Amino acid sequence: MHDLEPYRDMMAKCSHCGLCQATCPVYLEDFLQTHLARARMDLIRAVLLEGEIPVTKRFREVLDRCLLCTNCSRTCPAGVPVDEIIAAARNQVYQGKRRDPVRRQLLRRFMNQRGMKGLMGMAGSVAHKMGWTPEELPAPASKPFEKRFKGRIPAKGKARARVAYFVGCATNTLYPDTGKAVINVLAHNDIEVLIPEGQVCCGMPALAEGDLPLVQEMMRKNVPVLAGCDVDAVVTDCTSCGMMFKAKAAKTLPEDDPLRPQAEALAEKVWEVTDYLNQIGLTAEPPPLPESYTYHIPCHRGWTPTVDDAPRNLLGKIPEAELIELENPDKCCGAGGTFFMDFKELAADIRTGKLADIRQTGAKTVLTQCPACRSFLRTQFEDGQVTHPIVLLAKAYGI
Amino acid sequence: MKGLARDLGRLVAKERVRTDPEDLFAYGGDATYYVKRGKPDAVVLPENTSEVSEVMKYAFHNAIPVTPRGAGSGLSGGCTPLHGGIVLDMKRMGRILEINRRNMSARVEAGVVLADFHKAVKKQGLFYPPNPQSMNVCTLGGNVATRACGPHGVKYGATGDYVMGLEVVLPDGSVIAPGGLAARSSAGYDLTHLFAGSEGTLGVITKANLRLLALPPAHRTAVVACESIEQAGDTVSEILAGGTLPAMIEFIPQMAIVAMNNYITPPLITEGQAYLLIALDGTQDEIQAQADEILGICRRMGVLDIRVIEDEKEAETYWTARSNLGGMLLTMMKKAINEDVAVPRDRIPEFVREIQNMASTLSKVVLGIAGHAGDGNMHPSIFFPEVNSEAEKEAQETVKKVVRLGLSLGGTVSGEHGIGFHKAEFLHWELGEVQIRLLKRIKKAFDPKGIMNPGKLWKDGR
Repeated sequence: MHDLEPYRDMMAKCSHCGLCQATCPVYLEDFLQTHLARARMDLIRAVLLEGEIPVTKRFREVLDRCLLCTNCSRTCPAGVPVDEIIAAARNQVYQGKRRDPVRRQLLRRFMNQRGMKGLMGMAGSVAHKMGWTPEELPAPASKPFEKRFKGRIPAKGKARARVAYFVGCATNTLYPDTGKAVINVLAHNDIEVLIPEGQVCCGMPALAEGDLPLVQEMMRKNVPVLAGCDVDAVVTDCTSCGMMFKAKAAKTLPEDDPLRPQAEALAEKVWEVTDYLNQIGLTAEPPPLPESYTYHIPCHRGWTPTVDDAPRNLLGKIPEAELIELENPDKCCGAGGTFFMDFKELAADIRTGKLADIRQTGAKTVLTQCPACRSFLRTQFEDGQVTHPIVLLAKAYGI
Repeated sequence: MKGLARDLGRLVAKERVRTDPEDLFAYGGDATYYVKRGKPDAVVLPENTSEVSEVMKYAFHNAIPVTPRGAGSGLSGGCTPLHGGIVLDMKRMGRILEINRRNMSARVEAGVVLADFHKAVKKQGLFYPPNPQSMNVCTLGGNVATRACGPHGVKYGATGDYVMGLEVVLPDGSVIAPGGLAARSSAGYDLTHLFAGSEGTLGVITKANLRLLALPPAHRTAVVACESIEQAGDTVSEILAGGTLPAMIEFIPQMAIVAMNNYITPPLITEGQAYLLIALDGTQDEIQAQADEILGICRRMGVLDIRVIEDEKEAETYWTARSNLGGMLLTMMKKAINEDVAVPRDRIPEFVREIQNMASTLSKVVLGIAGHAGDGNMHPSIFFPEVNSEAEKEAQETVKKVVRLGLSLGGTVSGEHGIGFHKAEFLHWELGEVQIRLLKRIKKAFDPKGIMNPGKLWKDGR
């Protein structure tokens, strides 16, 4: 993703069959071919590889008006990695300067330095109270996850596995309840948890910004920290962080980068937490929880074949808890990381469809493994709660 | 073309008129873009018939070419704006206006996506059979304009068989509604079915009335692995001659099975030279009887392997893989040209044999054949391991040979994709000059200024 050129052959594989029209959330609102993967690929080739058309404001809009949801990449029968090509194109066009300098600095500092989080959390808190942050973002937690939990959390019984927990930025600052549930449920099921020090943002937001140097900086911090742990698995509660480490990390680095083999080895160990628990099995039988819920599958799910069904299977083990399926559980909610801040109306329109589907179920609890979906849906879902599946399991356990 | 954007902006909301170079680039054509692409001067996304009518009046007055399009998933270049002008993107006219269970009919706008329509009628226990493999994206308007078909053709026929009536905007902007919602009509020339297959050259289809069937209660899928392509062709003939009419019979070559196996668990054996993917539908008793009959025939023919899939969800994975075949093969090849020569059913084995002979003489490209064996709609495809001028030359020669072969067997140059610009030359071969002249006069009667989708159907396209 650091360079477009290696994607040239893959882009040529797009046969313009147009099947991407079936799943692109942006196209399904706009109905404009220009905002469709096949046209984006073609334009990126014509503008950035061949120079047939100059880089214009409209071209930048075509690049930006993409959620990087990966739906088209998964739909494409020829397997064109559209999201990676768009990230690479953004990198080439913006070279890290998509935002104005102030916002860019904020992003860099916020994401790249965990120690700053306390301070940033406070700043975020003030900004939130002053109404400077988008309404879709909840107020930062009074104390971030990393200030409350550190080091090693022992298994409840004899440890049968040992995992490292990668704490995403959203869990750390906005949703420490998810993080707490993760470590408690893992420990309760006889799994020892390590929270490695020195981890920073996974790099996904920077990738979306077209700031590959920043992504690489983050990789140089995260990869040694996580790969250096003597553990059976690395778990995360966030599907986007998971995708980043499992499917994208190595590709963000140059081919001859010495960190690349380490990133590839790390990818082998990465799991989303419900997927991991489902695979390893529960040792503690969950007590009954008479609650109904529905499940929204985050878009960043293609990096493992089992993550989309994992919460269904795992929570299916809770007696009396009832899943009411959405008509289209895998349809995008419109958040797309920070997409909803840049394309407010479009994101809200996409969300409207999702919310109608959710309300149809009558469920008061919506589960999803993506914190961006969680906060974006929650803003307009006054009649209930949106949370992570692991939180419901923790609730069943009463921990 | 600033004036054009301004003028169109008075007829249709400004944000639905696009003239930025990037947007014009994106509307260059369909899945034949690698052969030829066009460049419109404006793209308009109308939301209702009166907007289409206004745009047509304007285009007619100013003699501006107009190319209507649905999803642009076509394989013949039907929506490629060869002469610039206005592209009418019909996707925003995507409402299902009525599903009438008592009349077994539906009224839809042209931009409704076929798969969405399938879902909507299924909810009411009804069934709309046409299922071209682009069904997740292609539009009903596009289906009517090309008389699209798909694997269901063997039992249920093509889109044309389900069109009861249409609403069409003529080139001068007037709106007509040939046909209706009655099951039968003998009221003069059948304009409805003249527009079906007209590929946007006579007017803009804005609405369609479609016939529906009752949803068959049960389905079953089977895969037959054959030791040779001939054996597969003969098996199809035997099944059909024996009186069993499967809902779908797809012919899949060995090369494609390797790709499809990525979607199928457990993978199919790869020793077969050809495979038949068969769907049965009807009541449980009916499909059981059909399955027994087909299994008997397959055993007599000495096929390599038969797998019957009872679970409908599992069966779906086979059909999804089949739908994605064209694109999937591109994971192994650099480029593909998809043809859709159709031959009479009894000539399938001969056609397949000749194609295989032809394939063995090629060195730069690969000639494969996969398709709707049940109705002789065979889809020979040419794949490029590498793209270069020698390969292009061999591919072009091969396309011509394939078409000539199909015609010599009493077939047609297009079973379901339509002619577009891609097969314009071949239409002359099939119809001859007298018929082509007649078609041109019909075109002239509807479109005196020649503004509707110029450059299509026949060589000069006007």
